[in-house]
This record gives sequence, structure tokens and C-alpha cells, in this order.
Amino acid sequence: MEFENIYKTYWDRIFRLCMGFVNDYDVAQDLAQETFIIVWQKLDTFRNESSIGTWIFRIASNNCLRQIEKEKRFPKSELSMNIMEEKQQSFEPQIQFLYQCIAELPETDRIIISLELEDVKQAEIAKIVGLSEANTRVKIHRIKEKLTQKFKENGQ
Amino acid sequence: MDNNTDFKDLWKKQKVNQPNIEELLLKIKQFKKAGLKSFWITNVLLIATSVFIGLVWYYYQPQFISTKIGIVVTILSMIIYLSVYSKLLSSFKTIDSDKSNQEYLLKLIEIKKKQHFLQSTMMNLYFIMLTIGIGLYMYEYAVRMTAFWAIFAYGITLLWFAFNWFYIRPKQIKKQEQKIDGLIAKFEAVNEQLTSN
Repeated sequence: MEFENIYKTYWDRIFRLCMGFVNDYDVAQDLAQETFIIVWQKLDTFRNESSIGTWIFRIASNNCLRQIEKEKRFPKSELSMNIMEEKQQSFEPQIQFLYQCIAELPETDRIIISLELEDVKQAEIAKIVGLSEANTRVKIHRIKEKLTQKFKENGQ
Repeated sequence: MDNNTDFKDLWKKQKVNQPNIEELLLKIKQFKKAGLKSFWITNVLLIATSVFIGLVWYYYQPQFISTKIGIVVTILSMIIYLSVYSKLLSSFKTIDSDKSNQEYLLKLIEIKKKQHFLQSTMMNLYFIMLTIGIGLYMYEYAVRMTAFWAIFAYGITLLWFAFNWFYIRPKQIKKQEQKIDGLIAKFEAVNEQLTSN
């Protein structure tokens, strides 16, 4: 597939994955861009061992994990948190709440549930994350339970 | 809101702004330029240092073999230091980002541990080599001085190195280690999420 096509097909999905991970619009935008820069660099090395989707999601989720390091280097200040909250008030509260709940999960759970909500097959999710399929299924089930619980508590 | 499809529905309603592809291609270009720039800066620095010391060699025509060894050791210490650092940086860039998350995390931990080891070892090696190099280099000129000035010159130099060795070096190493240890612990904790149930 050509880079431009990949970009058009996957941008939205990758952006949402990043957004689920950090729950910060600007940071997610940067992470998505970085992902596509890596995709652009590595496209030559892509062999059809896995589907292109799996390949791209792997790059994107790994890049999100790398984000942990940057967070340590530039801890979020109070100020930027305030700005972030203000910005998000324009979003529908339920959407905002869902992304907030996901971003509060353990890092790998964020990736797993984001991929599930993105309609990635569970077998593919297992391949992206590096878990067995059975394990992935259990994890997805537990995370959904957790999310449902949080939504109930919040009266959504 | 206990329905699975509702979560999916909400998830996909997130506002998304797909930037123009031209914008991205521009970023890619800048990214390539930045990489090239840091490559040039490192190399120009290395070459400039070597040329400078080479000129010293040429103009002052050292007679003693100790001076020459001193010069070589000093240059070598800088070259080793710089090349190890740039190699460390590039090992990060070439990390396989299309592995599974678990493999990727293990790789990150491995690199960070290597970095931890290298930073303290390299820092020690750099200081030791620099001290030996400069100590040897000074000998020829100290011999020509009166005893007082020779002791004075060596005294000042050794004091300076002692300050670096006992104060700056441990502080620097501690700072770096704290940062890296924190990261290793964090990456290990994330990896733990995948291995435990």
C-alpha cells in the first residue's frame, strides 16, 4: 500500500489509540504524527508477515509506550492540565468520560481496550500486544467490566 | 451504558482532525534534517578537537614521548566518550518498533540497563584517561620549570581533577542513574502488567 493511502486509512484509528493512551488532544496528535513518521521510515522493511494494520498498530502502541519516557522528562505542569481540561469541555461529556477512564487504566490495558473498541480482531490484538489469545480475551472482558462499573458509578 | 456497542459508538465519536498529508511530509523533512544536523555537530566537534591538539603537537614540537602519549590518550578519551554517546543515542533510534508490545518493552528495558552500565563506566574511563593524558602531557613542560612552579602546576591540575572526580562525577552519575533507574522500574512495571494476570 502506498504511504498516502495508509495515512488516510489509518490516521483516525491511530489518533484514537493515542488519545486513549494519553487523553490529551495535542499530545495524541503528536504521537500519531510520530507514528506515521516511523511508518514512513520503515515501510520498505514491511514484509507481509502480518497484516499492515497489525504492523501499524504495533508501531503506534510501542510509540505510546515510549511516551512514558518523555513524560518523565517533561512532567505535566499544573498549568497545562488546566488548559487541557478547558479544551475538553467542548467535547460531549460521555465521550470525554470514556477517554478519561481509559487513560486511567494500566498502560497495557489502555492499548488492549483501545484496539478492541477500534474493532481489531482479538487474535490480532494478541499479536500486537504479545499475549496469548485466551489471555487477551480475559483481559478485554475484565477491562470492559471495569469501564461499565465506572460509568455506573458516575451515573452516565 | 453497560452495552459493548455503546462503548464502541462513543469511542468512534471522538473528534479527530486529520492533518493535511503535506503537513506530515514537511515534518518528515524537518525530522531528516534534524538527524543530519546532530550528526554534523558531533563530528565537527570531534574533528575540531583533534585538529586543535594536532596543531599544538605541530607548533610546540614536543620532545618527550610522554607528551605524545599524553596527547594521544587525551584525544582518545574524548573520541571514546563521544562515540559511545552517539552510539547509545542511535541504539534508541534503531529499536525495532514493529515488534509486539511485550518484546518492545523488554528491548527498552535492555537498552536502559545497558545505558545505565555504560554511563557510569564510560564516565569513569573518561575521567581516568583525561587525567593520565593531561598529567603526561604536562610533564615535559613541568621539567623545564623550577621545582616550585612544577609542583604548583601539578598541584592545581590535580586539585581540579580531584574536584571533578570526587564531586562532579558522583553527582553526575547519581543524577543520571536516578533518572534511568526510575525509567527501568516503570518499564518493568508495565511489562509486569502483561506477564501477571
